[in-house]
Formats: sequence, C-alpha cells, structure tokens
Amino acid sequence: MFGLFPSKKETPRTERLRALSLFVNLTPRELKIVDGLLHERQFLKDEVIFDKGDEGQAIYIIIDGCVWILPQGKAGDGQTIELGPGTFFGDLALLDNSVRSAQARAATTTTLAVFFRADFMGLLETHGLIASKISLQLARHIGRRLRESHNVATGGQHL
Amino acid sequence: MIETERDSGPVVWVSIIAVTCLLLLAFQKILFLVVPFLLALILYYILYPTVQRLVLAGMSRAAAASVVTLAFLALLVACGYLMLPWITLHLMDWQMAVENYVQGGMSLLGRSLTELEDRYGMLQRAHLAATVGQRLNEFTGGLAEQHVAPILIGLAGWTPSLLLAPFLSFFILKDGQYFQSFLARAVPNAFFEKTLYLMSEVDQAARAYFLGLMKLTILDTLTLGIGLWLLGMTAPMGLGLLAAVLAWVPFVGSILGGVVVVLVAATDFPNQPAMAAWVVALFIFVRLLDDFVYMPLTIGKSLHMHPLIAVLMIFIGGAVAGILGLMLALPLLGVVMVVGKTVGAIVTDSRLMARYWHGRALRSAQASADL
Repeated sequence: MFGLFPSKKETPRTERLRALSLFVNLTPRELKIVDGLLHERQFLKDEVIFDKGDEGQAIYIIIDGCVWILPQGKAGDGQTIELGPGTFFGDLALLDNSVRSAQARAATTTTLAVFFRADFMGLLETHGLIASKISLQLARHIGRRLRESHNVATGGQHL
Repeated sequence: MIETERDSGPVVWVSIIAVTCLLLLAFQKILFLVVPFLLALILYYILYPTVQRLVLAGMSRAAAASVVTLAFLALLVACGYLMLPWITLHLMDWQMAVENYVQGGMSLLGRSLTELEDRYGMLQRAHLAATVGQRLNEFTGGLAEQHVAPILIGLAGWTPSLLLAPFLSFFILKDGQYFQSFLARAVPNAFFEKTLYLMSEVDQAARAYFLGLMKLTILDTLTLGIGLWLLGMTAPMGLGLLAAVLAWVPFVGSILGGVVVVLVAATDFPNQPAMAAWVVALFIFVRLLDDFVYMPLTIGKSLHMHPLIAVLMIFIGGAVAGILGLMLALPLLGVVMVVGKTVGAIVTDSRLMARYWHGRALRSAQASADL
C-alpha cells in the first residue's frame, strides 16, 4: 500500500542469486537489499577480470558464461580451473585486502555480479543479520575448500 | 590505496592543488548552488543512519528517505513557527544590541589604551587613545544601520536557495546508491575495482569530515558554554554555539567568534576589564584543546594530509575564493586528493593500461567481426 513497503516479487537475477550458496539463507527482502548493492559487468572471451597480485576489492559471482582461474597467469598449464554460472570467485577479498592469488579471465562472454568489499562492510554495520548470514556461508565455503585441499595433500584423511 | 599514496609524485600533487584551486574558483561563480548542495550533503550524512534503520525495519529506500526528510522538514517548520514570534519581537532589540556591544568593546579598548598611556609616557605623547578612538568612531559610526539590515536582507535573499538543501538531500538519500552504480557503469572493466574503491574512499572521507565537523561543533559549544557559564556570562550556550559555528571558517572564524564574545563580556561587565581577559584566556584554551585533542579525535582522522599542505591550502583557498575558499579548501582538497591519487595510480600502472587496451581491442574485434 502506497509503495511504503517493497514488493517481495523476485526478479530473474534475484532468483539466480538465491540459488547461490552464499545467499541461500537470505529472505527475499534481504536478497533484494543485497541485489541493490551488486554491480553487473560484462567481460568478453579472453578479457582479464583481475590479475594475480592485484589488491582484491570485490567478490565476483558468475551470472552467465564461464571463467578461468589461472594460478600461473596463463591457460593450458594443467592448473586451470573453469567456473560456470552460479559459482563465485575472489571471495577472500570480502574478508581483507590481500592480493589475488591467481588471474581470472573470461572463458566465454561472461556476465558477472560484483559485490564490493566496502558495501559488505557497510552491510555489517547497517544490516548485521544479512552480513552474518553471508559471513557464515562464506566461512563454510572456505572451510570446505580448505578440507578439499587438505584431502588432496594428505591423500584423503579428514582434517 | 595506501600503496598509491607512495606512488604519487610531484606532478600528481601539483595537479591536485591546481584542480582544487580551479574548483574553488568555479564554485565561487556558482555559489547559489554550492551552498545548498553542501548543506544537503551535511544533511544527508546526518539523516542517513535513520534511513538505514528504517530500511532495515523493512521499509523501501524511497519510503524511508521520504519519511525521514518529511520528519526533518516538519521539525524545521515547527521550530520556525515557535521561533518566528520571538525573532520578530527581538529584531529591533538585536539592532540595538549590536550597537551596544560595539560601544562596549570600544569603551574597553579606550580604557585599556588610556591605562597604557598612563604607564608609558611615549604613548601619551603620541595621543594613542584619542587617535585610535577617533578612527574607530569613524569606522563604526552607524554600524548597525549600515551592516545589520543588509546582512538580514542578504539572508532573506538566500532563503529560496537554502530551501533547496532538504530536497537535494532527499534525492541523495533516495537515489545515491543508483547514482553510484550509474557512474560505475561508465568505467571500463580494467579500472572498475580501483574506481569502486575510489568512490567508497571519497564517500567515507566526506562522511567522516562532515560528521567530524558536527561533533567538533558540539564539543566546542559545550566546552565554551561551560567555560562562559563558569565566568558568569549571559546566554553562555548560545554564545558558545555562535563561536563554534563561526569556527567552521578556519583562522578567521575563530578570531571573529572570540571578538564577538569579548564584546559581549565588555558590555555586560563594563566595570570588570578582567572579564574580557578571562574570556580571551578561555578562547585560547579552547583553541589549544581544539588543535591537540578535539580535531585529531574528529576531523583529523578523516583527512590524511600533511599539516603544512593543509595550512598552505587554507591560505591559497582564502586568496582564490575568499571565505568560501577558507571553508571549502580542506574538504575539497581531501576529495581531489583521493581522486587525483587514484587517477595517477591508474594512468601510471602499465599493466592496468595494457588490460584496458586489450579489452578495447577485443570489443573492437567483436564489433567488426562480420564487416
């Protein structure tokens, strides 16, 4: 009524964001607030998203297309990781301004949603509940990755 | 960004100072727009936390901005409604009071000079008290008629422009976020992260500066008010607030605030010259407190600049754009500094530039693929 309270109807982008593990615990209203903070960028095939050694300022969510993560900064060295729609990368940048550990390059024409660290920090102050839900999911994601790399290093033993 | 600070060379710094001076010159020409915009920014940073709370409670941003702005306007109207009869009643008294206070100040000066003449014969032979008194009488004769009325008319002329401030702040509160996204869309991919960082730095610096200024004003008002109350002055908090607001203009403002309070002291206590001396001592104490305690706690944190550059910039600002230059030199330099350093860091980063040209080449190839 009178447009005082926002509509809970989801847009195609918020529907995609909902499927993302990072935002899975958010209510539609919370998701809409986060959606308002995201920047959408388009990268052409082979365009560099960020370089290894850059100061990380944002986390990238793949809306459409594919991205290569190149730890050595070049494709075809056997260490390339390909990420598809619905995944995210550069997540450590949300926590601190440490340098990027690998290069990210668009494998196809790609649409990305960019979540800037300053906006996340603002969210911590103004919407603590939303930020804590995202933080928990981020911690789970990093924990899972840590376990995986440990398993690879120790040949399958649990951490 | 701390890394870019190290990279900024003399060319970048000269450009930063030159751009700040040019902006000050330009701002002087569009003063009618700069003042309401500046007030709108201050209002935005004051109202922003309330808007955020309402958004958190489930209200849309537009509705929250409307509710908060309307509440502020209602408060303003209520204050105006309550104050208007009192202001009209005292308007004539004020004109008289200005003359009284100027006369009080002149009497104090005359008494002090006569005492000096009594002590030093050389000054008596030079007729110091008589000469200064005559010159001041020539200058201040009919001061109230000459200056108070034009000031009041000038303030009335500014009213429409000042009324623009709440409306501007409403739109910044409502659409500021979209405006940031809109600006970010124009930035090439290669510079995107650095530009986003730049925008947030400018926003944080401006927020810290204006909120710091408000906190500094409250601290100054309280300290001066309590000090003047202890000295037994009339309307101590009002005088404290007036001096604290005047102190927004660096150097000149503090002196002007001090002079006003000394005039009041000299008039209210004509037989106690020591009172004026106590007021001066209080002002010096508050000034020192400002410089060494309050400023570092409030505004100092927001502008990370060398004190020498800050002082030089205030003087340059004053020379280029008068009182407006004095007031705006530091916040403007703060903003231009962040922008200049970031642009300098981007332009001199050969990898970023190479990525930019690579991106352009890819877009050009895509656009001309079927030609």
